[in-house]
Amino acid sequence: MSAVTGGGAAAPVPPTVDPEAPRSQPVRGRETWGSRITGFLSKGVVSVVLALVAVFWLVPTFGLFIASLRSAQDNTASGWWNALTTPAQLTIQNYRDLLANEGMVNAFFNTVWITVPATLLVVVLASLASYAFAWMDFPGKDWLFIVIVGLLVVPVQVALIPVAGLFGDLGIYGSRISVILFHVAFGLPFAVFLLRNFFAGIPKELLEAARMDGAGEWRIFRSVVMPLGLPAIASLGIFQFLWVWNDMLVALVFADSSAAPLTVALQSQARQFGSNIDVLATGAFLSLVVPLVVFFSFQRYFEQGVLAGSVK
Amino acid sequence: MKRSVGIASAAALALVLSACGGDTGTDTPADDDTGAAEETTEDAGDDEATTDEGTDDGEATTDEAPADSGLALPDLSGEELEVAAVWTGTEQERFTLVLNSFEEQTGASIQYTSTGDDIAPVLTPRVEGGNPPDVAFLPQPGLLNEFAGRDALQPVSADVEAAIDANYDTVWKDLGTVDGNLYGVWFKAANKSTIWYDVDAIDAAGVAEPATWDDLVANSQTISDSGVTPWSIAGADGWTLTDWFENVYLSQAGPEMYDQLTNHEIPWTDPSVEEALNTLAEIWGADGFVVDGALQLDFPTSVTTVFSAGEAAMVYEGDFVAGVISGETDAVVGETANFFPFPAVGDAPAVVGGGDVAVAFTDTEASMALMAYLASPEAAEIWVAEGGFTSPNKSVDTALYPDDLSRGIAEGLIAAGDAFRFDMSDQMPSAFGGTPGQGMWQDLTDFLADPTDVQGVMESLEANASAAYGR
Amino acid sequence: MTEARPGGGAPPARAAARAREGRWLAWLFLAPAGLVLLALVLWPIVYSIWRSLFDRSGQAFIGLGNYQRIFTDPDTFTALKNNLIWVLVAPALVTVLGLIFAVLTERVRWGTAFKLIVFMPMAISFLAAGIIFRVVYDQDPAKGVANAIITSVHDVFSSSSQYPGARPRDADAMPATDAGGFASVETIQPGSTILLPLVGVEAGTLPDEPQAAQPPAEAAGDQVTGTVWFDFTRGGGGVPGEIDDTEFALPGVTVQAVQDGEVVAEATTDDQGLFVLEGLDPGDVQITLPAGNFAQPFRGVSWLGPSLVTPAIIGAYVWMWAGFAMVLIGAGLAAIPRDALEAARIDGANEWQVFRHITVPLLAPVLTVVLVTMIINVLKIFDLVYIIAPGSSAQAANVIAVQMWAVSFGGAQDFGLGSALGVFLFLLVLPAMLFNIRRFRQEQQ
Repeated sequence: MSAVTGGGAAAPVPPTVDPEAPRSQPVRGRETWGSRITGFLSKGVVSVVLALVAVFWLVPTFGLFIASLRSAQDNTASGWWNALTTPAQLTIQNYRDLLANEGMVNAFFNTVWITVPATLLVVVLASLASYAFAWMDFPGKDWLFIVIVGLLVVPVQVALIPVAGLFGDLGIYGSRISVILFHVAFGLPFAVFLLRNFFAGIPKELLEAARMDGAGEWRIFRSVVMPLGLPAIASLGIFQFLWVWNDMLVALVFADSSAAPLTVALQSQARQFGSNIDVLATGAFLSLVVPLVVFFSFQRYFEQGVLAGSVK
Repeated sequence: MKRSVGIASAAALALVLSACGGDTGTDTPADDDTGAAEETTEDAGDDEATTDEGTDDGEATTDEAPADSGLALPDLSGEELEVAAVWTGTEQERFTLVLNSFEEQTGASIQYTSTGDDIAPVLTPRVEGGNPPDVAFLPQPGLLNEFAGRDALQPVSADVEAAIDANYDTVWKDLGTVDGNLYGVWFKAANKSTIWYDVDAIDAAGVAEPATWDDLVANSQTISDSGVTPWSIAGADGWTLTDWFENVYLSQAGPEMYDQLTNHEIPWTDPSVEEALNTLAEIWGADGFVVDGALQLDFPTSVTTVFSAGEAAMVYEGDFVAGVISGETDAVVGETANFFPFPAVGDAPAVVGGGDVAVAFTDTEASMALMAYLASPEAAEIWVAEGGFTSPNKSVDTALYPDDLSRGIAEGLIAAGDAFRFDMSDQMPSAFGGTPGQGMWQDLTDFLADPTDVQGVMESLEANASAAYGR
Repeated sequence: MTEARPGGGAPPARAAARAREGRWLAWLFLAPAGLVLLALVLWPIVYSIWRSLFDRSGQAFIGLGNYQRIFTDPDTFTALKNNLIWVLVAPALVTVLGLIFAVLTERVRWGTAFKLIVFMPMAISFLAAGIIFRVVYDQDPAKGVANAIITSVHDVFSSSSQYPGARPRDADAMPATDAGGFASVETIQPGSTILLPLVGVEAGTLPDEPQAAQPPAEAAGDQVTGTVWFDFTRGGGGVPGEIDDTEFALPGVTVQAVQDGEVVAEATTDDQGLFVLEGLDPGDVQITLPAGNFAQPFRGVSWLGPSLVTPAIIGAYVWMWAGFAMVLIGAGLAAIPRDALEAARIDGANEWQVFRHITVPLLAPVLTVVLVTMIINVLKIFDLVYIIAPGSSAQAANVIAVQMWAVSFGGAQDFGLGSALGVFLFLLVLPAMLFNIRRFRQEQQ
């Protein structure tokens, strides 16, 4: 470990050091500058810096939120911060209008009926496939995995037309199923990539022990790998949920009006020639509620799982 | 163990549930078994949702033969139709009234699909997938040509053609025809030769309605002197710039040359184009005539710049500006906001316009009946009375328009008769005339940025047009 | 438990049977995912490659014709250039920011709250994010936060002019100077009066209680007197160049007298618009109105104009994805054994050295994952560019995925060219994919 210390330190260093105090002895030209900065970064300064960053990060979203509380006329006349000085402008009428709209409520349920199955299916299919890649042997395993990893890079637009034709032939074009299937297909590469990495990290001994107990592959999968893989699965679930919930392009192409999710239904609320901030901002926030709830409740699994899948 | 079973069954359940529930409503009535009762059910036209006097043209009660004065709608009980258009919000509500009336008269049931502003990316995959809507409203003739070219459209039946002949000027019939086949019924029109102004600013400047282009330029100077920027131009939305050009060109060069340019029979380097561009530059390039930051203004903002922020006095675009004004600003159309027709640039004023054309993707009795209905004045009058709608149907009773303003707009359009010309950019291949950041839209944006470079813009227009037309 | 022979010690026949069963089971496990991927992802790629060899209609085989068009079309070239900028800037920026945030949040107690705030944009759809930034980047300082902040800051340091946009009635008699002011063409002699009518005075710049303009008083021998007023009657009428009853004086205008190229006197108009230039020597006097009277207010930066639009959109992208990088790297940070850091500190290394020589190398795997993921992501970027860039900047902001959309759906409906662009995009992303594969291979060893 001592090999790592102060590469090039010229003078002997006192044994008790306060890591946060500025270093006064020059070590190497660049490091002096860097060390001065990091030394300066006491807890208080860091807090202030981070607070500023947090405020800066929140401003855009906050602005949209205020915009959703103003009428269309107010939004075109002045910037959203004016509402802070004239709070009389604020109104929840936009939300009332949108929620009273039957089509929007319908769309909300469509979104749920699309997102939940898409997420569950990806989890199930990817778990099965990832386990096979991680712990089972079969010819062509490596190449197959490479192909799947390669599919990570395919942009969605490439598949729109051919899949539309395919779904048309199958007779499911326009239904929720078509949207779900498309999302499952494009979520699988990343899902398999993530889960395979995690499953491969499960200690071999656990699996060996279960095998010697006489368990077959299926039992091992169900009772050893899946429970252990829960953090990775949860994080995968969150990613997939967010992606499908917020998607507009795929739904626009594949869903007809009865199957349309929130993102598409919002588009139809937009006035043809208006700036529509009031409608779109309101819709964006209504649509934001569920993903945020999902995100906050699964957040702890998320960090663990993502770590496990990637650092591997 | 239990968990994985649980997940698997949940997934399966979810899949099943999502498949059921909520019909997709995209069935095309495969079997027409209601062909029986043809012209027997025949109600009085629109006693439905219109406040004004009922119309009285062609209301035969129970008729056999479809006289060209009457509208004989067949009994379509149990038939289902899907209609797609770009209309949303208020427009959708009003259009639905028209559809409701059809449903009541025929017993058919119609599902309306809104595609959002860009209809092509939604329709194309559906056409390719073999699952198009029955009837769709295309906002450009260019799209009509493209879909017709793919054999996706059905020529209209004889009834529909008769209705078109009876109720429309020839120019509208021609616009719905591709290669000799009549596909389209023009249902909604837009008068794009209207200049909207802030009444207060114009009064303060003391200018009168301009009769000629030179008057308009002089007015602009006076308004500028009075301390208000005369023009708000939406440079971020290239299509508004093409409408400017088309108005100037049509009035200056005349309808025949306009058609030639539309079909790329004359090049964009023609002297008539140069003259039009130079004329445009008299306003676009004059010092202080155009509001700052015009290149970043999108269309709705260009309107609110005049009527909400008060930073300019006039904005040019079609009659749909009224909708933006009433929807997004506190100005009142007819009181604090008004319009005058685009002045004559050449010998006579011209009317350029747009519209939405109904086309049929399926050749069923129901689709054709709907098309015939859309070609009738009754259908149009339902929406006319609600406002926010201009009908190109010359048989419509203009007394039904809810106010003088909209009546004036409509009558201006109808009065132009066959001298009316459809928006040029909407008739051209969309790569040239209908795509943001490309073709004519981009070239005119470049021209707005630098109105001195006429030669360069013409050459770029010609190059882009040749590429798009393929010749 | 009973056959505890390490290294899988079943007799060969059983092992073979087991292997066969295992393989069959493996295929079973793979089948559902494999089927979906084959049908909906792999086949479209093949289809796209095939389709890209045909023209618009899909009937005529044109070989590599579409690919030729890609390389000769200036729009696509711009798109390629922009993608390059994106790839060079955005992933690095996101990763660096993520690293900084991850490291800093370790030191504060409320680190989790901060992480949630910075991560939250990821939960927002691209549509909403696009709209948010369209509004933020609005050109008009009254509507867009970015320009509002910039103009406020700017205005703190500089003063505004009195009558922006105003100019003399007669541009020939008093043309503009290079500096933005106006200078009279003809000269006058001391002892005379001059009228300076101005037009284009915005209503908001007039004083709250404007006064009627007055004709100038007699000038003494060494003076020039005059009036500056707004030569426009509301509602029209009035004579240009003459002081009408209905016209208003313009106070606060600086007027200068220039003799022999030098400013010899300066005066400011009073509430009646009158000014007196004194102490003039005999000789020709040129009257000028300096630019400071008329300078246009600073209106902020054109964020979404063609020159800045790509950096602006990259900014929006970073806003959305920095949280992703931060969380990933934060997790990686949490995995670094503390003792290594402590030992280094005890040995005397300062924070920077610890960071540079221990933390960053140990984080290398995570950083690589983040960077590569971002690169792949950025090469495919579509939604943000499509939504944020206004039509006039669409060309300048173009990226390959947007070009592909425009060509296929946006008008020309040329699926041959669109497919070619899709294949091209795929080829561009290939190096990143190969890198991923190489990593995977290395892990295997």
